[in-house]
Amino acid sequence: MIKAKEIYLAYDENRFIIKKGNFQIKPCEFVFIGGASGSGKSTLLRSFYGAILLKHGQLIVDGQDISSPSNRTLRSVRKNIGVIFQDYKLVKEWTIEENIMLPLKINGYSNDISRQQAIKLLSHVKLSHREGFYPSQLSGGEQQRVAVARALAHNPKIIIADEPTGNLDDSSADLVWNLLKNANEQLGITIVVVTHRVPKNFGIAFRQLSIEDGIIYEVC
Amino acid sequence: MKSVKNIFSFVIPLCVMLITFSMYIFTQEIIANYKTKISDDYSIVLITNTPLIKDDIKSLAGIDVKKIVTLEKDEIIQKVKGSLSENSVSLLKQRLPFFYTLHLETFPTSSQLDVIKEELSKISNIHKIEIFSKDHNKIFSLLVLNQNIIVVFFAISLLFSIILFSKQIQIWFYEHEEKIAIMQLHGASILYSASMVISHALIGAFIAFLIVSSLLYFIFNNLALIFPPELNSVIQLDASLNVEFAYLFILSMAISITTIIGVLFKYKIRKYG
Repeated sequence: MIKAKEIYLAYDENRFIIKKGNFQIKPCEFVFIGGASGSGKSTLLRSFYGAILLKHGQLIVDGQDISSPSNRTLRSVRKNIGVIFQDYKLVKEWTIEENIMLPLKINGYSNDISRQQAIKLLSHVKLSHREGFYPSQLSGGEQQRVAVARALAHNPKIIIADEPTGNLDDSSADLVWNLLKNANEQLGITIVVVTHRVPKNFGIAFRQLSIEDGIIYEVC
Repeated sequence: MKSVKNIFSFVIPLCVMLITFSMYIFTQEIIANYKTKISDDYSIVLITNTPLIKDDIKSLAGIDVKKIVTLEKDEIIQKVKGSLSENSVSLLKQRLPFFYTLHLETFPTSSQLDVIKEELSKISNIHKIEIFSKDHNKIFSLLVLNQNIIVVFFAISLLFSIILFSKQIQIWFYEHEEKIAIMQLHGASILYSASMVISHALIGAFIAFLIVSSLLYFIFNNLALIFPPELNSVIQLDASLNVEFAYLFILSMAISITTIIGVLFKYKIRKYG
């Protein structure tokens, strides 16, 4: 699903954040990427959807080489993955259903089908009572559940999440983890999560990668 | 409210540009009509030693020759004979050269007149050409001057309008930057993610077209109210308003679309995350 071969990531030529990264994430896996603050875990995650490009090496996501992708390849990869951010990245001027509809509309679904799917997902993330609300009218935990619903909307093969519970209290964080676990277990979606704190008693099988001094290694 | 204000900051320079363009079209139309009108009254006099072969002169300085009229010697003699004897009249008739008046399809400009004179001078049997350059119509010259001033004004307003449009479109891009970035993160193309900016620009272009078209319609139907009666002989507009509207619509949309493409080209896809 994601295959990295000798990858190097850097914001400038002189300082590599990721050095000689080799790893593979298989379909249906739940993978945590950990490491200290500033270790480069978010940078690595951003490379999966082409927000930062490799300096060297090869990165294949969902069968597409995004080492130095064209705009078309980049769009194609982004269309097929779901993304969740610590700061939610919801469009403030849109209602929460409209936010959930976004990936569906980009993937060419009609307005009616997108809306039906969005309403179904609102129920799935237990936010039916908030239909028609704008993101600013919701709590942080609720906004993150909308972001999870948006990431699930177009049935992606991979969901990438960058510190999805970083801004949430424990009970909201548990709700988000449960949604991600369900997506992995019931829908078979590969989940890659960057976090500095792997939740205890997670309840499902997962792998953990860690980054230290730019080197990616497997945590046993 | 903010959105309306934003659209109007796009519409106003576009309106100025379209009004200048309409003025150019107006003047062009007036000049074309006036040219036809005065060309009927204008002719060049040619004096030749031997009869002129009229078919040899089909066009001069790119203007078609409408007709060449031979001035009958008898008529000329009739005007000047006074107390001349029959013999003198007969001698005069023999010695008198051939006179012609040459009429053109359209009224020539001063520079075209110079070319016409030069072309006619090359015909060997013509020994005198009178183009009446001193009488060359002063109103026509003023109209041409006016048209040239409008062309310069149009070019300047076009330049400034494009600068203002592109700045306004860039402001819209900055206003919607976060939304555009989120859409691009989900795989939207730049055209899709910037659709709200594009729609703002196209709505603005359409509003500007409507405003200027209404103004033009009012002017066309109230020429007497706007222009003094002394200008009635000069201002005659035969053009179809529909054609003028089509020009305005095409220009308005073309300028907006070209500016959008220019700004989009600069913006490109953001590798944002």
